[in-house]
Amino acid sequence: MPIAVAPRQTARSVARVAACALWGLESAMVTVEADVANGLPSFTVVGMPDAAVSEARERVRAAIRNSGFEFPLRRVVVNLAPAERRKEGTGFDLAIALGVLRATGQVTHDADALCLAELALDGTLRPVRGVMARVRRAVLAGVSAAFVAPENAAEAAALGADAFGFASLRDVVEHVEGRVRQAPSPTPLPAERRDHPVDLRDIAGHETPKRALEVAAAGGHSLLFVGPPGTGKTLLARAIASLLPAFDPDEAIVASAVHSVAGLIDPERPLLGARPFRAPHHTASHLALVGGGSPPRPGEVSLAHGGALFLDELAEFSPSVLDTLREPLEEGAVTISRAGTTATYPARFTLVAAMNPCPCGHAGDPAEQCTCLPDAVDRYHARLSGPLLDRIDLRVHVPRIAYEELREDGREPSRTVRERVIAAHERMSARLVGTGRSCNAELSVAEVRRHCHLAQEAETLAAEAMRGRRLSARGFHRVLRVARTIADLAASDEIRTADLALALLLRAQA
Amino acid sequence: MIAVTPADAGYPPRLRDLAHPPDPLWIEGDETALRARSVAIVGTRRMTGYGERVAREIASSCAAADVVVISGFAQGIDSAAHRGALDGGGRTVAVLGEGIALFLRSVRGRRRPLVPRVRASGALVSEYAPAFCAQPWAFAKRNTTIAALAEAVVVIEAGERSGALITAGEARRLGRPLFAVPGPLGSAASVGTNALLAAGEARALVSAAALLEVIGLQGIHAATSPTDPILEALAGGDLDADAMRRRVRVTEAELAERLMRLTLAGRVTQTPDGRYRSRS
Repeated sequence: MPIAVAPRQTARSVARVAACALWGLESAMVTVEADVANGLPSFTVVGMPDAAVSEARERVRAAIRNSGFEFPLRRVVVNLAPAERRKEGTGFDLAIALGVLRATGQVTHDADALCLAELALDGTLRPVRGVMARVRRAVLAGVSAAFVAPENAAEAAALGADAFGFASLRDVVEHVEGRVRQAPSPTPLPAERRDHPVDLRDIAGHETPKRALEVAAAGGHSLLFVGPPGTGKTLLARAIASLLPAFDPDEAIVASAVHSVAGLIDPERPLLGARPFRAPHHTASHLALVGGGSPPRPGEVSLAHGGALFLDELAEFSPSVLDTLREPLEEGAVTISRAGTTATYPARFTLVAAMNPCPCGHAGDPAEQCTCLPDAVDRYHARLSGPLLDRIDLRVHVPRIAYEELREDGREPSRTVRERVIAAHERMSARLVGTGRSCNAELSVAEVRRHCHLAQEAETLAAEAMRGRRLSARGFHRVLRVARTIADLAASDEIRTADLALALLLRAQA
Repeated sequence: MIAVTPADAGYPPRLRDLAHPPDPLWIEGDETALRARSVAIVGTRRMTGYGERVAREIASSCAAADVVVISGFAQGIDSAAHRGALDGGGRTVAVLGEGIALFLRSVRGRRRPLVPRVRASGALVSEYAPAFCAQPWAFAKRNTTIAALAEAVVVIEAGERSGALITAGEARRLGRPLFAVPGPLGSAASVGTNALLAAGEARALVSAAALLEVIGLQGIHAATSPTDPILEALAGGDLDADAMRRRVRVTEAELAERLMRLTLAGRVTQTPDGRYRSRS
């Protein structure tokens, strides 16, 4: 929305300052209008403010007085336009204060910048959450400067805005009036490329689980490791971080914006350098996992956007919590509805999960005998609902390995596997160019038809599999997406019989 | 449901061998199954994949020879034996350690879908009143009834103190031929059966045909001799894909394709934890 910029004048009764409101990652420019009129002294904020915004009145009044300005003993009305949606948070303080100062003529120039900071009672600027998404909106709306707290300056600068980090309201006024001009913050350091803690080379044996990891990393397919305790399921799952393809800049911005809303940004290096890897504990509530609260905050699924979400001990998660994963797994986004507000956060992630094969953990373990009754094992697996299991593309057994194997190094380092993953990822994103999606797990049904060509022999196998295993149509499409990824990893345009067979086997439906 | 006493003509004749025959015996289903040629197949509830496969194979061979498979309808080996007999198109009798009506009401899990099939093709029997609640000693008593009801007894897998060993002991007392399936050394599920073999109390069961010969029947088909190297590898128990590749030594693609074909042919299934299991 373009911001109306009034011609500069020394004093006028209605002042306008640019701000931005945020609901989830959705944002809209807000014009803060301030009017000072004759009447009984009062200070009102209208335009659907929430509690935090209404409280801004007290902070603004004190900050103005304590910065050496005068708060007018007149009737002050502040409107947050458009007035139809509820505004949340403390990010409007600075804009309201500047509006009041401008309307009373204590500031004689318009700010011409997005004002985004909370005010302390002494006039100090405090950082707010979600700066990245809002600055991005402002840049798109043609407001190229941003006035923020020093802690938020790097975040704002990372998106190409002229970001000014001011220590106090006084500094902002000095800058606007042109008395003490401050230089914009430099573009922050590029994100650091971390060394991954786990490399495939460190993991002995486990060729099939590693293969599944490669397929999951390349195509974004969800993966479940099942095996006795201590066989390396967690280590394998953590190794996926070393295989994920590089972040493309647009994806990195969206993922960083989610972290910014959650207040999890490194102030020095605001842009995420590597795809996120999130590993919530199995006691996590559904609020922690998919997000929520008031105002709605992003959950782990959104913090994992663009990267991987690792759920260790999957069967120990509360079943109702796991069920909330279905929406993000299917839609790639989470919508949180609260009275008056709805927030949507992106949540496209590669799910990696691990669990024991039975309650005692030793089913199929050569080292120790399983002591579970067959029905108890069934009940254990039944903790995972059918619809969730249906959305898990790869289920792989992680066996206990022999000592001789343990002494060997893994065959391939992550670097080599990652090269294959990147090449395959490029093949798939080339097919999906312009759709906003980039991997095979996100292929729509129509795209599956278009891109998943089966070789003649594979076609026969597919028909047999459909009949023999009573695969649902959805299950079949999921198998085809995985087969497409396996073919992409082998740089094959056609899905060959072996690709399809491997996809069917890795799906492992008992 | 009917109840028969030792005085009745319809009372299963072999039960009269017991010092204290069940009186009365409650029967739900086809009581002629209790007088037919029969073999008892029993074992531990905590079976391994190997035990499950052997139980099903032997039961299915018995079914093919029109021999009724008798077992205790517990989880594990017992259920696998009933299932093997039913899948082989044969009849099976379940001897319960609790009242029949109570069992029908309370059974859950994998055994539940098996109940109507057992009732339709064979019978559920119990020496306890229909609403009798399960007691530990009742199961021990039931185990001796199983031994008496059958012409021969096979113990597939039994732990050190398994209830199946009670059936084995009673079989010896009654002079019923007793077989035990040799298991891998070190497997807790085979400690009991291997001990029976070591003490010379049971014969080693090496094929269904040998078992049927002992009760005077010709085995219909010899023990299956797997020719496929994958099936051969799986005969020793469930395997994960990596272990299979070490045994069979083929490329990943070839293994995937062959496993898939065996799965589609119904020869191999996958366990919920992603390993492969041979299915007879």
